[in-house]
Amino acid sequence: MIKIKNIKKTYTKASVSTPVLRGISLSIQRGEYVAIMGTSGTGKSTLMNILGCLDKPTNGQLELDGVDVHGLDDDALSALRNKKIGFVFQQFFLLERTTALDNVLLPLIYAEKYPVDAVKRAKKTLVSVGLEDRMEYLASELSGGEQQRVAIARALINDPDVILADEPTGNLDSKSTNEVLEIFSRLNQEGRTIVVVTHDRAVAEHAQRILELKDGQIINSVANSKLKNSSDH
Amino acid sequence: MAIGVAAVVVMVSMGRGIQKRVLDMIHDMGTNLIVVNAGHITLVGGRERQSAIVTTLRPGDSDAIQDHCAFVTEVAPETSRKMNVQWESENLMTDVVGVTPAAFQVRNIKIEMGRYFDSAENDTARRVALVGSVIVEKLFNAEDPVGHRIRIGQAPFEVVGVMKAKGVDANGVDRDDRILIPIKTAMRRLVRTTYIQKIHIQVAHSGHLQRAEKEIRELLRERHRLWDKPDDFTIQNQATLVQTEKESTRTLTLLVASVAAISLLVGGIGILAVMLTACRERRREIGLRRAVGARRRDIRTQFLLESLIIAGLGGFFGAALGMLSAFLASKVGGWPAIESWDAIGLGLILSAIVGLIFGIYPASKAAALEPIEALRAE
Ligand SMILES: Nc1ncnc2c1ncn2[C@@H]1O[C@H](COP(=O)(O)OP(=O)(O)O)[C@@H](O)[C@H]1O
Ligand SMILES: [Mg+2]
Repeated sequence: MIKIKNIKKTYTKASVSTPVLRGISLSIQRGEYVAIMGTSGTGKSTLMNILGCLDKPTNGQLELDGVDVHGLDDDALSALRNKKIGFVFQQFFLLERTTALDNVLLPLIYAEKYPVDAVKRAKKTLVSVGLEDRMEYLASELSGGEQQRVAIARALINDPDVILADEPTGNLDSKSTNEVLEIFSRLNQEGRTIVVVTHDRAVAEHAQRILELKDGQIINSVANSKLKNSSDH
Repeated sequence: MAIGVAAVVVMVSMGRGIQKRVLDMIHDMGTNLIVVNAGHITLVGGRERQSAIVTTLRPGDSDAIQDHCAFVTEVAPETSRKMNVQWESENLMTDVVGVTPAAFQVRNIKIEMGRYFDSAENDTARRVALVGSVIVEKLFNAEDPVGHRIRIGQAPFEVVGVMKAKGVDANGVDRDDRILIPIKTAMRRLVRTTYIQKIHIQVAHSGHLQRAEKEIRELLRERHRLWDKPDDFTIQNQATLVQTEKESTRTLTLLVASVAAISLLVGGIGILAVMLTACRERRREIGLRRAVGARRRDIRTQFLLESLIIAGLGGFFGAALGMLSAFLASKVGGWPAIESWDAIGLGLILSAIVGLIFGIYPASKAAALEPIEALRAE
């Protein structure tokens, strides 16, 4: 599904080069639930953004679904993000004065073809994240947990190959954190590929596999022995 | 923005108004016309004003022009005064104008009902009158006035005809609110003066206007024994009249045009500023849109559309404001203005163009943002 080989990323600012990623290779299988862990500033977001084709690596290869991303132009990358990737960010990034429903519909506006059943699909997706009675609320009227669930619905609307979540629970209280993690576990059980970036071991332990990032390299990749069953909650 | 569009609307409306006024003038006066006025004529607020009563222009001048000037085909002297007119129990004040039958042709006066008066009636100073449609309306309560007797001042007159309606002239005078009577009747029996106010002179064709004007000036100066004194009359030929008319309003049109240009520019810069701010403040939105699949050109289109909408709103209010100003300018200021729907169209198109031109830069800037930079923005 996702294959990266020897990815390097170096930020250059005022002629000072800071290597952040120093050669990362990994592959993620379809249907996997992977957590990338590391302390703040280790380059987790940088890696995530490269995986999501929002940013380009200084070196190395990225293959998504068998396609080498390197050769794609800007429009093709947009189309690829639209079709294959669903993003969930720490800050939710919803359009504030827009309803939950319209926020979820946003990726469809940029789809190759606006589906005739778009609204029906968006409503169904909102129902699946437990927001059936919040559809017409403005994003700014929703709690943090609700906003993040709208963001998840938005990530799901185009039926992406993978969900990339960067600190999805970083701005949430423990109750909302659990709701979000439950949704991820359920989505994974339904076969969805999920990559979660976090500094929080408790969050990472919901995943099947945990990668540890340190000093720009993956120092540890373990199958999660303590994997909890999501129905335990 | 709004002011710019308003100015465009005002400008076009006034342009139309002036054009109509010139056409009216030509229509009213026939073609190839020279007008001699007693004393000095000045333009005040786009309208002719006679400075003072001057008594030196006489019927004899009119006859002399007819007899001695080579290019002249028709001469129509005129005297007029505002007088009280009475019919049965109704009465009103109106312009009573003494003319010769030559005026009918020279001034393009047509009969609606009844008949003209003729030279014999003029020579014998008969008390006959032609009335305008406003008189029929107000004095006769829209009844057929032909054959009825009216009183002009104290003297009884018979209405022999009704003139075809002509509307308001270039100087804001309602040409239907007047009564024409033979000039000799007017001078002998009514106003009892020996002087006249105007002579309309027709020449064979417009190429003769300048030479005829020169001849008439020399003749009148000689007859009035002016020697080295300035003219005690004003000669205008139609070409000059049209010219003056255009000049008197050109300054204003220029002013309005520059206001239009400047405010459209200011409006455009306003849009530029607003959209640049939007581009900066909405970087996260741009980043998010890019993340979920918007291409650069989608972002550009969105921002351009927003510029257009702002410009369109400005244009809309401007059009309304412009209509209002043009209306006020014509009603209160006396400037000619014709409401023009296509001027509003032009105004809206101009504002759209301004919106597009000044929207391109911010839109391109928004589109050029790298998605990752945009998302990371605070
Ligand atoms: N655009 C950038 N320019 C320069 N340095 C950056 C930029 N983005 C991130 N960095 C630096 O790269 C390092 C990793 O950042 P990040 O990937 O956000 O870490 P994490 O998500 O693990 O906290 C940090 O030291 C950060 O300061
Ligand atoms: Mg981060």
